[in-house]
Amino acid sequence: MKRRDFLKLSALTGGAVLLGNAPNFRALAQGGTPASGGTLVWGHSETTQNIDIHQTGTASTLRMLQNVHDSIVVPDSNFTIQPGLAEAFEVSSDLLTYTFFLRPDVRFHNGKLLTAADVKYSFERVKDPATGATNFEVFNDVEEILALDDHTVQIKMSRVYSPFLARLSENGSGAIIPEGSGETTGTQPIGAGPFQFIEREFGNEVRLKRWDEYWQGPAYLEEIISREVTEPTVRLTGLRTGEMHLINDIPLDRVDELKADSNLQVHTWAPLSWAFLNFNHQIEPFNDPRVRLAFDYMIDKEVLVQGALWGQGEVTASPSFPTSPSRNNDLQVRPQDFNEARSLLAAAGVNPSDLEFTFKTTTNYPWHVEATQIMQEWFRMAGLRVNVEALTWSDWLSQCWINRDYTVTMMNFFTLWEPDFLYYSLWHTTGAFNYRNISDPVLDDWLQQARETADQSVRMELYHQIKQRIYDEAHDVVLWFRNGTLAAQKNVGGLDHIVNPNGSNLNFWRVSLG
Amino acid sequence: MATESFSPQTAASTGLGSEQRVRRRLLRMFRTPKGLIGLSLVVLFSLTAILSPLFIQEALSTKINVTARLAPPSPSHPLGTDQLGRELSYRVLLGARTSLMVAVLAVALSIVLGLPLGVLSGYFKGWTDLSLMRLVDTLLSFPVLLLALSISAILGPSVRNATVAIGIAFAPYLSRIVRSETLKVSSLPYIEAARAQGASDLRIITRAILPNILAPVMVQATISVAFAILAEAGLSFLGLGTQPPTPSWGLMIQASRDYLDVAPWTALVPGTAVALSVLGLNMLGDVLRDVLDPTFIFESAGAQ
Amino acid sequence: MTYLFKRLSLLLLTLLLISVVTFVLTKILPGDVAIMILGTRSHPETLTALRQELGLNDPLVVQYGRWIGDLLQGDWGTSLRFKEPIAKLLGQKILASGVIVVLSLLIALSLAIPLGVVGAVRQNRWQDTVSSSTALLGISLPDFFWGMVLILLFSRWLGLLPSSGFVSPLENLWLSIKHALLPAIALGLSLMAHLTRMTRSAMLEVLSQDYIRVSRSKGLGERMVVYKHALRNAIAPVITVAGLQLGYLFGSIIVVESLFNYTGVGWLTYQALLNRDIPLIQATVFVIATVFMLSNLVVDLVYKVLDPRISFE
Repeated sequence: MKRRDFLKLSALTGGAVLLGNAPNFRALAQGGTPASGGTLVWGHSETTQNIDIHQTGTASTLRMLQNVHDSIVVPDSNFTIQPGLAEAFEVSSDLLTYTFFLRPDVRFHNGKLLTAADVKYSFERVKDPATGATNFEVFNDVEEILALDDHTVQIKMSRVYSPFLARLSENGSGAIIPEGSGETTGTQPIGAGPFQFIEREFGNEVRLKRWDEYWQGPAYLEEIISREVTEPTVRLTGLRTGEMHLINDIPLDRVDELKADSNLQVHTWAPLSWAFLNFNHQIEPFNDPRVRLAFDYMIDKEVLVQGALWGQGEVTASPSFPTSPSRNNDLQVRPQDFNEARSLLAAAGVNPSDLEFTFKTTTNYPWHVEATQIMQEWFRMAGLRVNVEALTWSDWLSQCWINRDYTVTMMNFFTLWEPDFLYYSLWHTTGAFNYRNISDPVLDDWLQQARETADQSVRMELYHQIKQRIYDEAHDVVLWFRNGTLAAQKNVGGLDHIVNPNGSNLNFWRVSLG
Repeated sequence: MATESFSPQTAASTGLGSEQRVRRRLLRMFRTPKGLIGLSLVVLFSLTAILSPLFIQEALSTKINVTARLAPPSPSHPLGTDQLGRELSYRVLLGARTSLMVAVLAVALSIVLGLPLGVLSGYFKGWTDLSLMRLVDTLLSFPVLLLALSISAILGPSVRNATVAIGIAFAPYLSRIVRSETLKVSSLPYIEAARAQGASDLRIITRAILPNILAPVMVQATISVAFAILAEAGLSFLGLGTQPPTPSWGLMIQASRDYLDVAPWTALVPGTAVALSVLGLNMLGDVLRDVLDPTFIFESAGAQ
Repeated sequence: MTYLFKRLSLLLLTLLLISVVTFVLTKILPGDVAIMILGTRSHPETLTALRQELGLNDPLVVQYGRWIGDLLQGDWGTSLRFKEPIAKLLGQKILASGVIVVLSLLIALSLAIPLGVVGAVRQNRWQDTVSSSTALLGISLPDFFWGMVLILLFSRWLGLLPSSGFVSPLENLWLSIKHALLPAIALGLSLMAHLTRMTRSAMLEVLSQDYIRVSRSKGLGERMVVYKHALRNAIAPVITVAGLQLGYLFGSIIVVESLFNYTGVGWLTYQALLNRDIPLIQATVFVIATVFMLSNLVVDLVYKVLDPRISFE
């Protein structure tokens, strides 16, 4: 019924509408009806933070809120943008007008039907700097948000912002909340997703309940209790003792052992996140690309993936998602070569034994601490003198991220599959995530161009160039893609539908308990 | 002139036990199993801490070997290896140095801070006492670990800062003990006499008070070293103490947490090291207390 | 009466000093509250605006005045990170910690008193050695180590008890106790060790008193002497020390609750410290210090009632 309507509409609007099969529909089409009901206990690896979908910037919170809120558009596994709460959309050829046609039968958890007013309200809320929305910049070039009728919303741009649709599909910027619910969405969020938010005891658990009137049909699970257990081994013990049905982020060293366990099922995917080594570009001699390149040559990325991730990842020279057309596949991971490193340092006039610095890392990611120790050992072998400071998350954020008071550090990122979000934020001089003081005029120019290029293949080619430049200058050293992992009891069904294309979010709509 | 009247010997004869008697009792106590075990454990711990760095290169303890990670104890890996394939034998031996250094320096700092506070308070009494003890009481209202944790958080994570944090957190306890001992000693008749003879306060404190409160301070210091080892382990466990890859027992236990069921030796090796050294210090502390201060019943509170 | 009055006025003074120390402590903590609230992906301008809004740019004295004023009016503020009223958070967490503190006290006392008594009655015999060694071992290993061993033993290998989490006793008492048991044992072990040593020495002292010798010479049974007379007299200092140890438990719970992911006050304090949640740090540290100080006071008073020989300066 719904599927037929959907197809009819796509045929009708044709032309400018970018359509494909939404991944959700594929799930529906599969045979066998899983049992309905039951309460699933999920051992969640991280603590949820601010649960205001527009304000929150943490992967952990988005992972949970994915089940509460639906977005106007969603990405598919190839990162092509698909309809979400809008059953269709039109983009004018000059990329200056976007029209969204809303589904008529979407009900929020408060029982109200989704209307254009809710969309207008949500977008304007994100756009307003006073809201403090993480993604307010997505709306920087938005001139006007119009509700043409009850189910049609039109957005007029002041200039071309090529990543607009893609940005709307991610990280909560396109999540629609009922008109006027902004005040309470941080405490009692109301969305149009498959589960209703019941309550949260901070740092302990979040309870979600099935929303029977979900527009794609009700979920199988009656309730989800997300228990926030940050300690990996504790989570694993919980799964083994049956306290939990499902856990995400299996301790890295246990994945193989769990795969062999016939009482459990394991689901892995790649990538969940990627990591890189950072230099403070304002500190001598790290402003010299030869010095940064030398560091690249000191690191054996294969050994690092084995040593720090227990093999649960892959080396990569580029942080672009493997399936993204923006990825430059020509780049090769540089091998470990101490001679090359030494000659690069010599060329830069740096005597290894004069290079003494503190490598700041964060205990928030235990594998970073391991990776740091392994790299430190290599740096020591190259003759450098390196101290390690393992900082708490909050200290790392304030010292490295905000105050940029560090020499060398490392970090990882989730969900940055959208090339503008990824490259502009991280490598543009004014990028929001440029905590390395990088300022490369060539990059800045190309990044701005890419942002304003409407032709997607030209735009993707620009990103290949951009990544080549980052690689040649060794602005940072990309280390790895880390695998996502989750394990569950045998009676949990639908694990193949749980992971969002962005590799981080989990959606329990198709998950069942047998 | 007045020197004679308040020399330590004179003070001792007022009931705090003569030196000879103490010496005899000490010798006797060290022949009991408790004394013997305690003393040998402490000697073993100190020798390990002092000698290991002379014979073992630091680099050996940080040498990573990804192919031999979590190896069980065997002839080629005497105490097994940790999650990065580092030899636990080297790490536990060098870890003794970290533990001893932090503990001894922290306790020394607590004495430097707490002793003057306690002596001034106990000797001058009145307003000095009242105001100093308000400060001490206030600090005593914060559990040691909470105080150490906060101080470490302020100073940033490092061995040095952990030492300072533990030292500061221990100081009020020490000053409490010093104060009550000083009160006891300064009410003795010969101190009154010395005062009447016009001896300066400084002279009375250095010549009469300090020598006589030394014994309880020693007892407290021994026990405090044990608690400081535990506190360092606790801070490192929470990530605010010793920084990797420097070998530290607390850090080793923390790292072992994720591998406890597949590689229990990674926890047992540093755990045993902590247990033995703290056990030794506690036993020694008990013995010293029995010998030096038989009236002392209440356990002074430690760093838990 | 004057003693009580003096004690109370000193108490108020100490409370004031505690509040100042707490405030100063939290003010010199490094870190940025705003970024902890907004996350890594927030924009600098939003951050600046939030700092302004939180009043983080006001002079220290103003901030202190505002804090203490609100505190006195019962307004404990809102946790920056948890986005919930601090009073409510504390209420929940104190209940959680209360469960493990009470349990660990029960465990410690029920083990320590028999062990200590046996140690004293059988002084220098094998029973004494067992009792003393148990006690020494208990204080020689950090509680987080015991915690790890307990998880391995009871959760991982035997599968008897859950290894993490908290369930409210108001919701399900049995489940609540099951969750609290392992952290309570980990906490209780070192407390047990201290109390065993305390019981033993108090018993030894009492047993050497004249009236015990008199009781014995009157031909009373040894059991009667030990349990009726001696233990009754030795128990006062033991209970006192147990009370004093309550305060130390509040230090230990920081590590133990974090290890067991048991969401009590200790866990809350550690989270607050980790996240630089300043209002929450102020509140938790202040509450812990106050509870600790009050427990000391109560212990002092109880001791004075139990044992009138003690005179206070």
